[in-house]
Amino acid sequence: MFLLKYLLTSFAVANAFMSTPSQKTLTPSRTFGSQIEQRISQVRKHATRASTSLAMKYTLVLVRHGESTWNKANLFTGWADVPLSEKGVEEATAGGKLLAEEGFTFDVAYTSTLKRAIKTLWIILEEMDLMYIPIVNTWRLNERHYGALQGLNKQETVDKYGKEQVLIWRRSYDIPPPELEKDNEHYPGKDPRYADVAEEDLPLAESLKLTEDRFMVDWEKTLVPEIKSGKKILIAAHGNTLRALVKHLDGISEDDITGLNIPTGIPLVYELDEDLQPIPHSDAIAPLSGRYLGNQEEVKARIGAVVAQTK
Amino acid sequence: MFATRSALLSSSRLLSKKTVIPAFQIANKHTLVLVRHGESTWNLENKFTGWYDCPLSPKGIEEVTEAGKLVKAAGIAPDVAFTSLLKRAIRTCFEVLDQCGRVWIPVTKAWELNERHYGNLQGLDKQETVDKYGKDQVLIWRRSYDIPPPAVDKTSEHHPSNDPRYAGHDFPEEFTESLATTLDRVVPYFEENIVPELKKDQTVMVAAHGNSLRALVKHLDNIDEATILELNIPTGVPLVYELDENMKIIPNPKGMAPLRGEYLGDQDAIRARIEGVKNQTK
Repeated sequence: MFLLKYLLTSFAVANAFMSTPSQKTLTPSRTFGSQIEQRISQVRKHATRASTSLAMKYTLVLVRHGESTWNKANLFTGWADVPLSEKGVEEATAGGKLLAEEGFTFDVAYTSTLKRAIKTLWIILEEMDLMYIPIVNTWRLNERHYGALQGLNKQETVDKYGKEQVLIWRRSYDIPPPELEKDNEHYPGKDPRYADVAEEDLPLAESLKLTEDRFMVDWEKTLVPEIKSGKKILIAAHGNTLRALVKHLDGISEDDITGLNIPTGIPLVYELDEDLQPIPHSDAIAPLSGRYLGNQEEVKARIGAVVAQTK
Repeated sequence: MFATRSALLSSSRLLSKKTVIPAFQIANKHTLVLVRHGESTWNLENKFTGWYDCPLSPKGIEEVTEAGKLVKAAGIAPDVAFTSLLKRAIRTCFEVLDQCGRVWIPVTKAWELNERHYGNLQGLDKQETVDKYGKDQVLIWRRSYDIPPPAVDKTSEHHPSNDPRYAGHDFPEEFTESLATTLDRVVPYFEENIVPELKKDQTVMVAAHGNSLRALVKHLDNIDEATILELNIPTGVPLVYELDENMKIIPNPKGMAPLRGEYLGDQDAIRARIEGVKNQTK
């Protein structure tokens, strides 16, 4: 296997020197399929290095936004743009302090177009004294769209549709909730922030699978090249988009991911090797190989607490 | 009247991106909103600030929250924002966007919009500096158009090469700025980055500093050097310019000369603030 890697590398390096210099940042026009393509593009970018360094590591930090006002009121939120509750602000501040204390720094931050994630990010950057870094807002990091259930009270919905049906919508991997009508106030086409999004991309309802599909477009097209260019990235996003990301990073199954809960406001740190495979951390809590910052007993309690909520 | 037209423009823009726009509805008007950041902690301590990255004071936060409310009340919805790399301006930008409900818009942060760098006066108390160098010399540094304060070299914490946020740009070994040199980096940035956004029919907000905004309005309103030095842009008061399709300013009848843009808010109170600051510098 190593010999194969070595041969491929030498071939790729030779190829790189013979070809024209690559552009500063690699923005592939299509998704890279094979490992070979990935490796060749990587070597072209770092053509001055004699060989790929196996110790090369990237750091990626994820954080789920703090409690929102609708979380508190137990309403299905999705793409509804509700603010953080006071507790959510405290959670974000605590998350920022943890990152500052452990000496993290970032070059760029990615977040959604929803204010609960954006504010979480602003608060964290302020705590870290990094307000000056560029922030990229993308709808592809938005929470899963909850269709016609958005704005409904969770208990009322259970009373209306029955516990089993609601559980299916909430915890199924690929069954979306009922779609909303285009004249519904929650239809994204009515919102100016999505003016540049193609109509066929605007969801009427999403399952975790659909959320994952539309997020992964951004992962491949934008985030992977950014990470590989050596930029340290912070992603402030939502429960389901972060689920999609860790499912991909850690190869978690569809069954396991629907049960996985990522606690709010606690930074989740991934160390990645040159192929963007996670290097498992000793503090990692399965099935994740990344580690949560902060008091580990508290973290475990918080993970348990979120599970209890869904009963 | 102004607010209604802007509201109409914003609401028609909501529909306009995907529908055919009748030519008369969008009046080829482009909106630029300038906001000077609110009071900072070093303003309070009466220190020369420049590129030192101090935060807004609590009063400063109130000022810019108020500014945001005024922008919202005027029916202005920024599509894109520009600010400096200094947190007092960035925070101003965020607070205004929060009040307008536009926190999701792209915000570009650029050193070219930073406050004027105060050379080796940065961090010094203004009174102490007068005691040290004499009132006249300090007045020259503060109020001359093109005489900069003494420079800092790379051994100084105030030299940008010692701050990672400026890693992408090569600054001279000896660094300091006058209003003239500030303008030399603000205006090209405006032309190359902000004007194209205005041309694309985007409402642009710029949250910046006293001297970077002076440089900008000097350029926008063709103000001469002597006048610009006397001009004070009050903190936390949105200043709104409308430009036509050729990027020429459409003078606003409410403009307080020499500015052709309109300050939002209580006009008498604003006038009093401008006069008040003027009296301070005597």
